[in-house]
Amino acid sequence: MNNKRNIGNIIGTVLKFAVLILGSVFTILPFVWMISSSLKTPSELVAIPPALFPETPQWVNYKEAWAAAPFARYFVNTLIVTLCTTCGVLVTTVLSAFAFSRLNFPGKKTVFSLFLATLMIPGEMLIITNYETIIKLKWIDSYKAMIVPWISSAFYIYLLTRFFMQVPESLYLAAKVDKCSDFKYMIKIMVPMNKSAIFSIAILNIISSWNAFLWPLLVTNSQEMRVLSNGLVRFQTEAGSSTELIMAASCMLVMPIIIIYLFLRKYIIEGVTRSGLKG
Amino acid sequence: MKLKKFGAGVLAMAMAASMMVGCGETAPATTEAPAETPATEAPATTEATTEAAATEEAPAAEAKSIEATEITFWHAMNGNLETVLTQITDEFNANNEYGIKVTLVNQGAYGDLQTKLQASAAADALPDLAQAYNNWLTPYIDKVVKLDDFVATDFDNWDDIVSAYRDECSEFGFIHAVPYNKSTYVLFYNKTMFDELGIEVPQTWADVEAAAKTVMDSKNIAFIGYDDLAGAVEASLHQNGSDYVDATGALFNDEKGLETCEYLSNLYNNGYARLVGEDGYFSNVLSNQMIASYIGSSAGVSYIKAEGWDLGVAPIPGNVAKAANMAGTNIVMFSQDSNKQLAAWEYLKYITSTDAVVEWAVGTGYLPIRTSAYETDAYKAYMDENVCAKACYEQSKDFFFSPTFDASNDIRSTVPSTVEQLVYDKADAQKWLDTIVEAINAQY
Repeated sequence: MNNKRNIGNIIGTVLKFAVLILGSVFTILPFVWMISSSLKTPSELVAIPPALFPETPQWVNYKEAWAAAPFARYFVNTLIVTLCTTCGVLVTTVLSAFAFSRLNFPGKKTVFSLFLATLMIPGEMLIITNYETIIKLKWIDSYKAMIVPWISSAFYIYLLTRFFMQVPESLYLAAKVDKCSDFKYMIKIMVPMNKSAIFSIAILNIISSWNAFLWPLLVTNSQEMRVLSNGLVRFQTEAGSSTELIMAASCMLVMPIIIIYLFLRKYIIEGVTRSGLKG
Repeated sequence: MKLKKFGAGVLAMAMAASMMVGCGETAPATTEAPAETPATEAPATTEATTEAAATEEAPAAEAKSIEATEITFWHAMNGNLETVLTQITDEFNANNEYGIKVTLVNQGAYGDLQTKLQASAAADALPDLAQAYNNWLTPYIDKVVKLDDFVATDFDNWDDIVSAYRDECSEFGFIHAVPYNKSTYVLFYNKTMFDELGIEVPQTWADVEAAAKTVMDSKNIAFIGYDDLAGAVEASLHQNGSDYVDATGALFNDEKGLETCEYLSNLYNNGYARLVGEDGYFSNVLSNQMIASYIGSSAGVSYIKAEGWDLGVAPIPGNVAKAANMAGTNIVMFSQDSNKQLAAWEYLKYITSTDAVVEWAVGTGYLPIRTSAYETDAYKAYMDENVCAKACYEQSKDFFFSPTFDASNDIRSTVPSTVEQLVYDKADAQKWLDTIVEAINAQY
């Protein structure tokens, strides 16, 4: 009896680990492949059968990729834009989510519906009109142009409003009895209680902002204002592409994101899984 | 409430997943330009017809007093191409007598440049000069400056420009551009393998089939591939004396069209030809000796790494006729200010002068746009060294370009996927013909 249970346990554990290992291999493989490709020679890249690791790592690819465009400058720009948009998004999202979930004001439902309605408009359609606006404001080639249009997101607002609504009304009323102001209640109660959701929003925004390509390309002209993703096209022409250099540049581009992930993974995993399993 | 919570959770997860996978705002695939747009055969009228273009023309040569000004030029030249373009532009900026300063603005790849031009046309924020393919321009052709007067009064011999380029640059009934970075499709082959198997460079379709059989029998690999499937269909039709498309629809639903499809479908169905797959370009496949030859842009020669074998380059094989796609963009002018137009024209004259053309061609591998450039010692010496340049020159009399009309962009993006599906299905010639004709006609 005992033996049987033990065997069952062992099989269960083995299966669990097998699935987990398989899953992680699938997830990690593209990264490993990217890194190994970035260290290959062009002919190793296309060799059949493909080799997992290069014979001699071509570190020179990184040097060459780095020299092909002012990546240091791109990096600073990307950092500035990402930080500013993410801070902006957090401020606007938290404030409006609070307003929509707790405050009562005339036309609240209408305004909220209007916000939701904007989700129905495909982003591609907004690009041209936003671009026209930026030109009329004479913001072309400035950080403003890359940041301001992205400091609020109807989707994040909707998402956080839903989270805020789950906080029991009684907490709010109790706080009110204790003469707590709305702002203080938001900062002291709502935000800490929904930490993981807010973190998820920040992370998602960081990722999309870090990888943004078309918008920065549209609103900037000078090399000094371009961002990292714009640098990647340097290695592509109409008739071919230097894959090993693209891979080297891609490694440099994703490294900061991976580092951020390593530091914040507790919150990211919490934010994504716990919020999904709630209720 | 539970449902709501659950819904929010699911949404959060879905969003997280989608963002992690393919984040950011990438250009929608549909707006992306095809890699190479070989361009036409449409009637070429060099005389200006006034109704087509609305832009005013600036008086050209008579009173030439140009005030110092800055000209912006949007381009999609990357890597070494950008270096050479910058060098030539710097020479102009330093030496022109009017104090004109041309600022080069790199707008990424062709697809990105096309998107940005289209958006800027809508927002009335076009640059003074830009590289462009003809089929990008149809939505905003009224914003393109007519260059006929400039060419007539202030250009050193328009007739010196290769005639196919002149035709392409006057496709809309007036001169809307000057040709610049031009390339053509050539046959790249593994010379070592050809020599080993005793294969001559194929001149005709029959030669291709015979050589392909030899390669298949002894090496068990495909003989030929096409980087640009739409270009391959178009060129093959021309090689068989047939037309491709015009503003009304597909023009090859006939015996000649069927013959062409028979040739192409047999190549694929016998394994003589193969698709490129995820690599996107055959340069890698040829480098790796997994194919004996391929047809692709001459601009791609630098991506072929011939290690342990010799590269050969030849004009592409024909059938009843020879026909070679040409590719590469032209430069169009958008500036509305007459002083800027004059200044921009000075720059265009400079970079299309014989010396600058040779510098550009030798530095980049693009083809000279002037016949006189081919005659210079510098370019002749370059051709002696460079097999690719030589092959391009040999077939320059066979250039054709694809006509531009409303549906032409959609046709270019539809045909490759249609052909790929036919290859996967191992379809017969009749099916090829019917499917391609149908796919093309559905774009109108």
